[in-house]
Amino acid sequence: MRALIWKFLVRDWRGGELSILLMALVLAVSVVVGISGFVSRLQGALLSESARFLAADAVIVSRTEVPEEWIEEATSVGLQVSASLGFPSMAVADIERMALVSVKAVSAGYPLKGNLQWSVDPYGTVQSDGAIPVPGEVWLAPRLFALLEVASGETITVGERPLVIAGAVRGEPDATTAVFGFGPRLLMHVDDIPSTGVVQPGSRVEYRLLLGGSADALEIFLEWLKPKLGQGQRVDSVATSQPRIGDTLDRAQGFLLLAGSLAVVLATAAILLASRRFGERHTQYVAILKSLGAQSYEISRLYGSCLFVIGTVSTLLGCILGWAIQGGFIWALGSLLPATPGPAGWEPVVMGVVTALVCLFFFAWPPLSRLADASPLHVLRAEVDVARMQRVQDLLLGGAAIIGLMWWYSGSLTVTFSVLAGLLLVTVLGVIVGRTLLAGGHSIGGFAGSIWRVALSGLQRRRRSNSLQMVIFGVAIMLMLMLTVVRSSLISQWQAQLPPDVPNHFLLNLAPEEREQLQDFFTQRAVQTERLYPMTRGRIMEVNGAALPRWEEAESETAPRQREANFTWSDVQPAGNELIAGEWWPQDAVEPWVSVEEEFARDIGASLGDQLTVRIGADSFTVTVRNIRRVDWQSMRPNFFMVFPRSVLAAYPGMYMTSFLLTPDRKNLLNDLVRELPTVTIIELDMVIAETRAVVDQVARALELVLAVILLAGALVLVAGVQSSLDGRLKEAALLRALGARRELLLGTLWIEFLVLGGLAGGLAGVGAEAATYALQTRVFDMVWTPTPLMWWLGPVIGAAVIGCLGVWSCRHVVRTPPVVLLREV
Amino acid sequence: MIKVSQLLKTVPTADGDLDILRGINLEIAEGTSAAIVGASGSGKSTLLGLLAGMDVASGGEITLDGHRLSQLDEDQRARLRAEKIGFVFQSFQLLPALTARENVMLPLELSGKKQADDIADRLLEQVGLSDRLDHYPTTLSGGEQQRVAIARAFARQPKILFADEPTGNLDTRTGERVIDLLFQLNASEGTTLVLVTHDDRLARRCDVRFGMDAGELCILNA
Repeated sequence: MRALIWKFLVRDWRGGELSILLMALVLAVSVVVGISGFVSRLQGALLSESARFLAADAVIVSRTEVPEEWIEEATSVGLQVSASLGFPSMAVADIERMALVSVKAVSAGYPLKGNLQWSVDPYGTVQSDGAIPVPGEVWLAPRLFALLEVASGETITVGERPLVIAGAVRGEPDATTAVFGFGPRLLMHVDDIPSTGVVQPGSRVEYRLLLGGSADALEIFLEWLKPKLGQGQRVDSVATSQPRIGDTLDRAQGFLLLAGSLAVVLATAAILLASRRFGERHTQYVAILKSLGAQSYEISRLYGSCLFVIGTVSTLLGCILGWAIQGGFIWALGSLLPATPGPAGWEPVVMGVVTALVCLFFFAWPPLSRLADASPLHVLRAEVDVARMQRVQDLLLGGAAIIGLMWWYSGSLTVTFSVLAGLLLVTVLGVIVGRTLLAGGHSIGGFAGSIWRVALSGLQRRRRSNSLQMVIFGVAIMLMLMLTVVRSSLISQWQAQLPPDVPNHFLLNLAPEEREQLQDFFTQRAVQTERLYPMTRGRIMEVNGAALPRWEEAESETAPRQREANFTWSDVQPAGNELIAGEWWPQDAVEPWVSVEEEFARDIGASLGDQLTVRIGADSFTVTVRNIRRVDWQSMRPNFFMVFPRSVLAAYPGMYMTSFLLTPDRKNLLNDLVRELPTVTIIELDMVIAETRAVVDQVARALELVLAVILLAGALVLVAGVQSSLDGRLKEAALLRALGARRELLLGTLWIEFLVLGGLAGGLAGVGAEAATYALQTRVFDMVWTPTPLMWWLGPVIGAAVIGCLGVWSCRHVVRTPPVVLLREV
Repeated sequence: MIKVSQLLKTVPTADGDLDILRGINLEIAEGTSAAIVGASGSGKSTLLGLLAGMDVASGGEITLDGHRLSQLDEDQRARLRAEKIGFVFQSFQLLPALTARENVMLPLELSGKKQADDIADRLLEQVGLSDRLDHYPTTLSGGEQQRVAIARAFARQPKILFADEPTGNLDTRTGERVIDLLFQLNASEGTTLVLVTHDDRLARRCDVRFGMDAGELCILNA
């Protein structure tokens, strides 16, 4: 028997039968290994990219010096550490030339991730050689050179310590974490800090301990550290310190995982089609074997062993090919990738092997196992019913296996069920369309011309296989449409969050009498600004007469407590703020009302209509919550927790703030601004925004790549789908030619059949994609869903065009080859 | 060798049960040849399928070389076919992916016979196809394909050979040549031959002729 199995394999391979199934399996495994490998390497890349934004894998942020014990423990578990501290101070060139700067003192090893960029002169050649300022030297932000009128080699003083200017800071990996570093950067060595004398007990200093190393070591250390963290101490990761970048990366990861799980669905669709075709083509084969005396168990053993060999070979080949695919992608797209790709690990291979097993057991084996039931009578009468190749229970079992695979791969039930909802919709609609439209094709065709009549009756005759094919085409097109839409809306949402004209500087502490001067300054220099917001600091003391506990006295982290915040007044609802309860007050309202931001309201335990007791300075007064707002904190515009009517707040002295846009070439305007209005504080966010934008661009590019891979896999499924129906069509076309049908008639019927199938499949795909996209956008990506009417007509058009061209191309030799040769072949 | 008594075959249709065979009785002695003739749709092929154990009767009994088919399951009937029965079909039923030699080797390989290739070569030589050993069915003419099928049918030296319209797809001259070959091999191997045909000349060469009409069988000569 073993010898027979090998002979059988060799002969079948030569006959081209096995190669179809083998190729489908290789495709399945290689797509899964390739995509999951690519995705996990990209994830690694994005992860290291995100680490770059912290200059470390994690950072301990503390208002007091980080205990030596923590550093020792971190080192002992194998982590790299580097300490830094930041504080505002004055840099003095001489008595006339001084500036408020944001000092950052770093130690050896900084940064643990990413690169520090510097140049000798303010705008000279950028270097990134791992250097940091040595003790006794400082690097200054380029703008400071002009502000202090100094050059490299000269000396400035910080506190009591004179330091030599050795270079200009041109880029810091963790610039984004220093959002509220007031003033331009001054970078120095941490060893010089004691001699400056500026850091005293009670000084406003932020100590940072950068941690770098393996995820395991980090986890062990952070677990150890957690109970030891005191007040004013926290551990930062990208997600907590940089919500925008964290959010971008989270969504990108979600997209990549979604893409990977779609690869599984596409691959199984290819297997389903190939094994069905294999089974159909082997029914006659088995009938002959049985007429020659082969017993059922021998047939099962024969096909089971064949499948085992095919499975092993295709898994091996698929893994090798998949590995090559992801390697090829990384190699070809190296320069486009966000960062150095990480290792792929073994998971993609495990994934590929499991996918192969699931495909073999649930999709390839059922039709082959059923071959043993094929009646030998088939050799006498071709019309004898062949055992149904795929039964509903097989498909249900297979479906359950696929759900399991998708769940395992995406790690999210929501993703799995969102995609599943679309798939189910396509399937159900496909069955309905198959039963009604395709079945009715014959009668419609009766009224049409001869080409249409032949084509539509063909669709009707093959309606069972056509329905399956239509569903599979629909699924493939749906997955491609869905991924394209999700990708596009993710990217456009990211871009919308950071439009080109987003303000990149904040100006605080503007006195009321300076407003006009500032506006003149900006108008003269044509600088685009937001409106001026009055700003007063205050505290919420009571809600409905019940006193709130102080922060440190609160019962738990989520219990209501006192909050201090910046208040503003406004007659109109602030731009970009959404009212989620209550209503805005009319112009010139005099009632004691307040508008509260939703999370702030939750923190103090307030809801609509509640009475809040507010304290500003020594005064207390009561206001009623008129509405609750949702604020987009990522909008780069001044946003406030508490907004009052003008009449309520006008009596309290406050300062003003605004935000404005400055392009890099106009940065020196800031020097003029601080000279003209020396008391204002400027927060420079341009570097933060530029870095964030760079991440978004890189992530978007990664999404494009994965989308391209999925589209390729989808196209392969479409090819497999068309191939799977070729036998019947070729046979019929050959007969028609033998009966004297013209080439035009044959070509016309082929075009019509495939265009109709493709168009219907595309239509189903549009509906399914819309449903799945709705679920994904609202439940997975936390986005606002908007219908995509484009898909509704793009689906049928793409479906008809692709399936039409593929189908006719696959059948092209029918119209070229002499009928006698065709009849022999089929 | 073959004994059939009160054989019934009924199939369900939309209009109720349809009787295809209505109480067939026949006996064919070892080493003889028998022809079953009749019009299309008279039930000849159904009878052949039942005789070869490829289908299950609705009633009655078939005894083949002492084995009562009604007492055998599908696999036992398959084993019986492997051991005692050869088949020649109207549409040849060669496997397109296999060469002429491999098609003849197939039944030998299924029963684990050694030197299957030598036996196949000898048989193909006997049917005059020694120069077509490595040809695929699509490159052979109809007559050649049927000769390969005959070689395959005799490969396991069956006790009984069933032939379903063996000349149905061949022109008269080729058909005659194939029939000569069939009878020649039948005589030399001592096989019991049962053939279904509507070709009168072919039927007349058999020792016994049965006529089939509307599911009923009668002896035309003895």
